[in-house]
Amino acid sequence: MRFHIWMSALLLMTIAGVSGCRKYAEAAKADPLLAAYDTEADWTDAQHVIPLSYQQAQGKRIFYQDCVWCHADATPAGPSNRSNLTPVSPLLNDGAALNAESDEFMQNIITLGGSAMGKSAMMPPYGKTLSAEEIRSVIAFTRAIAQPPYRPPARPGSQYSAK
Amino acid sequence: MSAEDMGKLTHRTRLVFAVSSLAFLAVLAISPFKDFRREWKQYKRSYLRFAQTRPDTKKLLADYRPDIDQIWLPGMNIVDRCTTCHQGITQASLADNAVPQPFRAHPLIPHNVRDWGCTVCHRGQGPATEVAEAHESTLAWEQPTLPTRFIQASCGTCHYADLPQTPQLTKGRELLAELNCQGCHRLPGIERPAMLGPDLTNVGTKVSREWIYKWLKEPRTILDKDGNVTVNGYETEEEPRMPKFRLTETELLALSAYLSVQRAKALLPYKIDSRIVAAWSKNPELISQGELRFRQMFCSTCHALAVTRAGEAKLIGGDIGPELTKVGSKVNPDWLIAWLRDPQSYLPHTRMPRYGWSDEDLYKVTQYITAKLTDSDLLTSVPQLRQPTEQEVQLGHRLFLEKGCASCHLIEGLNPQKDFGPDLSALGGKNASELEFGVAKIPHNLVSYIQAKLQDPISVNPAARMPQYNWNQADLDAITTALLSMKGAPPTSALQNLVVPRKEVAFRPTGAFAEVYERYKCYTCHKFNGYGGDLAPELTYEGSRAQRQWIVDFLKNPQTLRPTLILRMPQFNMSDKDAATLADYMTMVLQHPAANPAAVDAMQFTPAMVALGKQLYEVKYQCQSCHTIGGTGGYVGPNLNNAGGWLTPAWIEAWLRDPQALIPDTIEPRRNFREDEVRALTAYLMTLRQSIKPQKTASASVSRTATHGPGL
Repeated sequence: MRFHIWMSALLLMTIAGVSGCRKYAEAAKADPLLAAYDTEADWTDAQHVIPLSYQQAQGKRIFYQDCVWCHADATPAGPSNRSNLTPVSPLLNDGAALNAESDEFMQNIITLGGSAMGKSAMMPPYGKTLSAEEIRSVIAFTRAIAQPPYRPPARPGSQYSAK
Repeated sequence: MSAEDMGKLTHRTRLVFAVSSLAFLAVLAISPFKDFRREWKQYKRSYLRFAQTRPDTKKLLADYRPDIDQIWLPGMNIVDRCTTCHQGITQASLADNAVPQPFRAHPLIPHNVRDWGCTVCHRGQGPATEVAEAHESTLAWEQPTLPTRFIQASCGTCHYADLPQTPQLTKGRELLAELNCQGCHRLPGIERPAMLGPDLTNVGTKVSREWIYKWLKEPRTILDKDGNVTVNGYETEEEPRMPKFRLTETELLALSAYLSVQRAKALLPYKIDSRIVAAWSKNPELISQGELRFRQMFCSTCHALAVTRAGEAKLIGGDIGPELTKVGSKVNPDWLIAWLRDPQSYLPHTRMPRYGWSDEDLYKVTQYITAKLTDSDLLTSVPQLRQPTEQEVQLGHRLFLEKGCASCHLIEGLNPQKDFGPDLSALGGKNASELEFGVAKIPHNLVSYIQAKLQDPISVNPAARMPQYNWNQADLDAITTALLSMKGAPPTSALQNLVVPRKEVAFRPTGAFAEVYERYKCYTCHKFNGYGGDLAPELTYEGSRAQRQWIVDFLKNPQTLRPTLILRMPQFNMSDKDAATLADYMTMVLQHPAANPAAVDAMQFTPAMVALGKQLYEVKYQCQSCHTIGGTGGYVGPNLNNAGGWLTPAWIEAWLRDPQALIPDTIEPRRNFREDEVRALTAYLMTLRQSIKPQKTASASVSRTATHGPGL
């Protein structure tokens, strides 16, 4: 009899305990490419596809409209204009050349043009054609496709790991 | 009962009471314990712990409350509790991908999340407070979250007008229009394409019954074994237009019989001058001359041909008209001659312009097409077909209506069935329970349903009449996005007010210009006031841009201003009168208010201004990075060798001040020129002149049609 009572008490508590800690719904490992707003194939390796966020995707759109003519090896209309430029313009994914430049520098050279920043005057200013927001998105796209990959400069907070 | 017994009982009862009250306590504790362990509360606490590890803890926890957070937008029917767990969505410092979900910041988008809520774009269940119920469809909740790769569909639920930011959605809408999906389905906001399937009223004079049989059995656009879309066996980027219908042998025979007797409106046969035939038919250069003319007239701007490059055959050329690799084995040669002379009398809605043919050119080109663009194996798989019987024709007539052929193809005197396919205007908002999944073994949600239906209609419904299309993944996703965006009329008036409608675009010229414009189909490639194709420069303000004489010369002998272009203005062999009509109308009507000819007098330009302009062009602004003068410079902008003979000074000035004001999507960046710099650059550009040389041609007949340089 006593045994039964203890057993039923135990059973009740087990049920209580189990029902209290139901497991989280297992979050499926999302494929970053499926969750991306848009994608861009790595220029140096077509098999490697880079997922783009909304902002980077907007940068991609503006790049293929305005910048691709001089900052890529092939353009939608055929050959690139790079061969006509002296000095030759950097490819947009050229991390070795562009990773070292700060976002502020990139923002300025796109807005004000090459001559304002002591670079080639062949780079025209886009400050009156593109909004600051659009220029930021182009920079975001540049960072996303950079090879070698772009690492943002260490900020004071980054010593803390996100857990 | 004795007192002793009672004592005994008391002891036992105590024990029972003790145990049961313990059990009771435990049971009582379940409820608060369960409440404490609720998913959202755990996320709340873990956000608190997470924020402690960040340097900007104070900012991250400024709005923190241990309760349920929600965005409540009564007018829009939105109660979104997503921010209960997704607590960092507006915290810029949490944008890094290393931040664990659900705390990561929302990527930058044009709308403020607090003003719009989450489910308006992502779908899912706003009021739910459990992970599974918020994101997935469960028994009680039917709307799962939208996979991110289709997220542009949500933009389209309010933005009926196309946005530059949503290329996938725009492409999907274009596909719906181009493939004429609204021939069978109701799809609001999708325009009917200018060119539906060809009018078949007279198809019996164009192709043989065998060719029709082959075409219906296996349209030339197929998916090869590697999953690539091929046309006539060549890989292509072109979208397939004619889908494959699942037809039985009897149906193939009946339809081919019915179509091969359609000869209601035969074209007038045209006899090419017998002297020309006699002079050329024995000439060994006939075919190569025909090929040369075919190229010189830039037929490839609209029609692709298979070209072997580096050992790989690919289709090269435009996709406005059909590819022509094997057309010589398809069409009747007499039909071809009559068609080339006057396409519109065969197909009223065709985009093919009417060229001014000389008999000699017509003979050479048609001989080239029928001799070279052929494939002797094209019809080998087709059985021998006899004269169509009355019975076959009757059955074919019935099938033509039943299979939905009449939704895309007109046959005079035949009335297509109205609302042939289901109404899709609210498909994108349907719950899984409203869809018929039938035998298909696919996840029960809307996205899977749409994709399965598009890829293989009979996998969902074996009795489906919808034909088989060959999609590549990008097109499939684009069209799925466009369909998901169609959620029907917004349920509340507040949402209705948010809708950005599509702009009606129309350009309806009148008079003599309209007749010539329609004959040469200018709108197939050029845009006028937002209406027309996008292959060639927009001409809305061409009258302000170009000098009249230049327009005349260009129309008579088109030269490209951009050397890298492969697709070019065809050689129409236009008469002086037609060219004058077009040029007069453009200079009178297609004017931009910002370019004021009266304000700019080219006579006032001094040599000093020209010298300054040249220096500005070459040194300060280095325009040669994009423009070519005298053989050096970039390919991006137009060649300026003849800027002074081409552009009006008023246009150059207005353009230098603000190019986007004249042509909104031009890629020329707007500069910061001073007013005197604008003048000087204009003065310099107006001095650049070069007469247009006639095209080098291999035969005398060609140079006859080309005009000589302008006498400027």
